Amino acid sequence: MKKVTIFGLSFSLPLLLWQLLFFAFPLFFLVALSFWVVENYRMVPDFDGVNWTKMFGRDVFWDTYLRTLALAAGASVLVSILAFPCSYGIAFKLSANLRRLAIFLMIIPFFTSYLVRVYSWQIFLSDNGIFNAAFGLLGMGPYTMLNTDFGTMVGYLTLCLPLVVLLQVFGLMFVDRTLIEAAHNLRCGRLRTVFLVVIPSARVGLVIAALFCFILTFGDFVGPLYLGGGKPPTLSIMITDTTKAGQQWPRAAVIAIVMIATLLVVAFSAIGYAYRKRA
Amino acid sequence: MAESLVVFDNVEKRFGDTIAVDRMNLDIRKGEFLVIMGSSGCGKTTTLRMLAGLDAPTQGEIRLDGRRINDLATWRRDTPMVWQSLALFPFLDVLQNVEFGLKMRGMDRARRRGKAMEWLDRMGIAEFARRDISQLSGGQRQRVALARSLVTEPEILLLDEPLSSLDAHLKVRMQAILSNLQKELGITFVYVTHSQSEAFAMGDRIVIMSRGRIEQIGAPVEIYRTPHNHFVAEFLGSSNIFQGRMAPMDGGLLPIETGQGRFYVNASGAGGKQEGASTTFVVGNDRMVLSEEQPADARNVLEGRVIGEEFVGATVTIHIETDDGQEIRAQKSHDEIAHLNTDVSTRIFVSWLPESAYVLPGE
Repeated sequence: MKKVTIFGLSFSLPLLLWQLLFFAFPLFFLVALSFWVVENYRMVPDFDGVNWTKMFGRDVFWDTYLRTLALAAGASVLVSILAFPCSYGIAFKLSANLRRLAIFLMIIPFFTSYLVRVYSWQIFLSDNGIFNAAFGLLGMGPYTMLNTDFGTMVGYLTLCLPLVVLLQVFGLMFVDRTLIEAAHNLRCGRLRTVFLVVIPSARVGLVIAALFCFILTFGDFVGPLYLGGGKPPTLSIMITDTTKAGQQWPRAAVIAIVMIATLLVVAFSAIGYAYRKRA
Repeated sequence: MAESLVVFDNVEKRFGDTIAVDRMNLDIRKGEFLVIMGSSGCGKTTTLRMLAGLDAPTQGEIRLDGRRINDLATWRRDTPMVWQSLALFPFLDVLQNVEFGLKMRGMDRARRRGKAMEWLDRMGIAEFARRDISQLSGGQRQRVALARSLVTEPEILLLDEPLSSLDAHLKVRMQAILSNLQKELGITFVYVTHSQSEAFAMGDRIVIMSRGRIEQIGAPVEIYRTPHNHFVAEFLGSSNIFQGRMAPMDGGLLPIETGQGRFYVNASGAGGKQEGASTTFVVGNDRMVLSEEQPADARNVLEGRVIGEEFVGATVTIHIETDDGQEIRAQKSHDEIAHLNTDVSTRIFVSWLPESAYVLPGE
């Protein structure tokens, strides 16, 4: 084992303390909290499984869980599919200078807070917003877009699309060009090569991109609430609702733990799939 | 003469301002093992890539079986290539790699499996059919790459320095495998390399390229013994090169005045050149005779000092520097020089027969 030096510690210790104080300890506290009970709107330390049985016994919890899972999984697939042609173009068709410019443009959305971008979408999506005004000129609509799953998806796309494009571009840039030439040389046409060679070669990057999208959207609160309307809720909205309803922090902790566990399972299986040897 | 399979008709390839291949005319015959040799950047790989359809000629025409193929997409022609990096698909196993080309042709699963296995068997790697590419050794990967390209039974196989990453021992074995395979299949191999030993070991004909042009085309012995010009002679490094002017004929021999003295070559080598014309001749390293005493009856003699020696297997190449600074190489077997003192700085005489000299026709 390497010797621990004061010099080394002085750099690593602050981060270690930070992680202990603000990650490991709260996580432990969260688990403990889920076994507390609420009496007369006050939390009392205890070791009681009642919160778990109550939450798991409710259909609304499972409906919300599946709905959140479906929305996040749907967003990951949708964003990955929408992003791919764009990433492919940036990685393979642009000159080195234009590629740098495109990557820079993908970073610009991060200059503005996600919350601000979501609020500005309301101006576009609301019943008397910009889109419906435009549709009205064409004699169509109005269409309800705000406070629907469509609105939630718009929020998710706003959150993830630039990041997924960036991650996909980096994955595609490392694809060995001679593999593409070799496929063409073996009579594999252009589109077929994308599916048979480019995507399998860039699999790690593409899966990690989709995984980031899943992680971000599964826990997102802003998009589903301000664009999706929050009814029916997602798990993160359900957490706030639960804390507001009768100081049920312990039950909110149960939801939070279920979310963390889900993300861990999804992340590990996605990474396992990405690095699996064969397609 | 055998029929042409591929014709390069005045083909030129430019990348921006640089000319990679300059007005090339080349006939590739059916069933021959053609080696294109040259140093890096000479245009040999570009030539191969144009034939495979990976680069399009800027000018001129490439014909395959008499058909113009300039604008035919690479996935519409049957010109499989073996890459220097082999370009095996790492996300497919050995069998899937080999059957890839058959799958692209729409062959059904059972038939393509059978054919791929047949080829794996032929290459002696059937037992690795279900392995990952990363689990194979360099030589095994080479065989997978060959099987993948040959399984579709093409008329021509293109190889871009496929052996350059192998160690010397394996290289020789793969050379034999490639040579035999080409003879058995009777198809055309076009092989690009910078290595003389590979070219001379396998090629029926060798094309020597430099700066986008063909310097010489010929059988290995022809190129070795009768290089066309100064570049080829120097590139091969197997001959000593002398430059001078032709003098009047002298008793059936042609004297050439050089900076090192007057040397005689056979009159037949003059090639219609006039007296006084500048000329270059070469003498094979292995045709040089070494002696400690001045040879009495030799017509072509130089004196110099040994500056070094180089062992290549059974032969030794002795480097000698003449008093006016020209370097001469003499390649001898160990027995031939056993009685000589070849220590560095020893004075030594080099001589050769007039018939050992060859006047370069292209100079």
